[in-house]
Amino acid sequence: MIENARSINIAASLILIVGIVYIIGPLYLTLSTASQSYEFMLRNGLAWYPGDQLFINIGRIFTETRIPVQMLNSLTVALSIAFFTCILSFLTAYALVYFRIRWAGVVFALILATIMLPLDIRVITTYQVASNVFSPLNAVLDATGLNDLIAAIFGARIEFEWSVLNTHFGLVAPLVAHGTGTFLFRQFFRTLPADLFKAARMDGAGPIRFMVDVLLPLSRTSFAALFVLTFLSGWTQYLWPLVAASTPDMTTAVVGLARLAPDQDGAVPDFPMIMAGAVLVSLIPLAMIAFLQRYLVQGLVLSEK
Amino acid sequence: MNAIDTAIRAAAASITLAGITKSYDADTVVIPPMDVELKAGEFTVVLGPSGCGKSTLLQMIAGLERVSGGRILIGGREVQDLEPKHRGCAMVFQNYALYPHMTVGENMTYSLKVAGMPKAERVERVAAVAKMLGLSGYLHRKPGQLSGGQRQRVAIGRAIVREPGVLLFDEPLSNLDAQLRHDMRVELAELHRRIGATSVFVTHDQVEAMTLADRILILNKGRIEQFDTPKAIYHSPASVFVAKFIGAPPMNILPVTGDGSVLRLSDGQVVAEVSLSGSFQLGIRPEDIAMEGRVGDPAVKASLRFREDLGSHSILAADLADSVVRVATPFGADPADALHLTLIFPKSRLHLFDAATGRAIPGAFRAH
Repeated sequence: MIENARSINIAASLILIVGIVYIIGPLYLTLSTASQSYEFMLRNGLAWYPGDQLFINIGRIFTETRIPVQMLNSLTVALSIAFFTCILSFLTAYALVYFRIRWAGVVFALILATIMLPLDIRVITTYQVASNVFSPLNAVLDATGLNDLIAAIFGARIEFEWSVLNTHFGLVAPLVAHGTGTFLFRQFFRTLPADLFKAARMDGAGPIRFMVDVLLPLSRTSFAALFVLTFLSGWTQYLWPLVAASTPDMTTAVVGLARLAPDQDGAVPDFPMIMAGAVLVSLIPLAMIAFLQRYLVQGLVLSEK
Repeated sequence: MNAIDTAIRAAAASITLAGITKSYDADTVVIPPMDVELKAGEFTVVLGPSGCGKSTLLQMIAGLERVSGGRILIGGREVQDLEPKHRGCAMVFQNYALYPHMTVGENMTYSLKVAGMPKAERVERVAAVAKMLGLSGYLHRKPGQLSGGQRQRVAIGRAIVREPGVLLFDEPLSNLDAQLRHDMRVELAELHRRIGATSVFVTHDQVEAMTLADRILILNKGRIEQFDTPKAIYHSPASVFVAKFIGAPPMNILPVTGDGSVLRLSDGQVVAEVSLSGSFQLGIRPEDIAMEGRVGDPAVKASLRFREDLGSHSILAADLADSVVRVATPFGADPADALHLTLIFPKSRLHLFDAATGRAIPGAFRAH
């Protein structure tokens, strides 16, 4: 229903303005503080108006902190997460939609269930596995009594060990398998003509050929949308990099940013520099959205052109 | 014949279905064992109501569905265990199933590309097909920019470009509007004459079946009701099902009983003099019922319920012995009495069916 009443217009505008201030306000404070000097901040607190120190502060990020290295880490990790999530989601959705699989419904339900179990919930167990990838296998060996048998025969128990903590692989792998992408592709495949697969078979194209020649080009926008979304979530991951990477050279920019605040009590954080870091770290995801927002919208409305 | 006519011409292959069956489990048998022989170059229309198994039959020939039993021979070669691409079939789908991201040219050339044909030859072949189908100006467009009829033509082009021995059509015209459907039907008939591939065309539209087919295969619940020429199917239907399925309006079917000398309707009126006894179903086409006739022909009385004037002719619906019979009369021909009709069923035009099985009793009205 469209109302034309003036009072409603004014009220709606006011609510919108409050919302905008609520969102833009902190961003403005970030930018203006980033452009002031440390001394200015010590005297006046957070800056209400911009200064001329922005590039000097950004320069200090490069010379005094590990943020640049950590941004490279973030880039590697976020790109890998996005890339492998896309591939995995595409392949699982392809299998679910185009092949007659026993228990396909159950499989799909289990995949969807991962959406309800984000990493934040299972962070402790995931950390255990990451610290030793073979720990589930070891647990199975212990629980089944196989290890006792081996110990009795060979005189020693088997303990496999492989830690992926403090590696890029360890930062990426637990975040790759995620139900959202599978769901997105599955819904998209279902909007395509059902006979497409049959037509390709009649044309002599097998399942792989159909996937590469037909499905992949048609899924371009879905890929772009999922890529942007997972890249952003990978870039802003905080909890997992915090626990999985303990050295400053392996952690990601978002975690590094949080660590810029001094540990000792009483010290005033160098907020202008931290804010400059925040601006710097936000630039890459912003650029990503700016370039790919067209696909983001197209991919999420789930339709072929 | 010009050069294009000869450029795309298939070596037609015969199709033999030897006892093929399809069932998903013990309870759902889609097609009980079926034996059919389709001659090389023949245009066969598989006709039946929805759910009768006609699409399944087509997909089994194509190789998109596995057979549960029996053998399929195409051109004398056993193919039931081969992949679709090794069977020499091409298929046109109901919803076109064109690749949306490829141009018209790419759509048509895709199968040749997969088969590894050199590019020059491919381009030549597609150009010939496009010219034949009037698509030459559209080769660089995407399917989304074409009309329904053009898309269907691309789908046909994609099928014939490989010069398949067998062309399969899965209700290809049902997405088109009436006028376009008529035009495409004519085009398809012409195309078949030029290409000569053995064609199997699945539809539930009897007009398509009557106009296109060399022979019509009528399916009912997976079983063959009749497999014959359109003429034979129209004039001597093998069962009540066929009689009711073909013709618009369909054949009138009335229950009758014979007492050894005449056939009587359920209200006792005599419709024919035949020395048969027992229960039967009597069939007569609306256009075969006469309003006046020779003296001596048995005449029955019916009361008019309503009439539909169709321009070329009128359809009268009349109550007769607890049923409604439809009579086709020349347009504007008014019966003398507007309400009470005298109908004559010429003996040579009557069809008699077994009341229990519904199968036709051939020659029932001849031996006199």
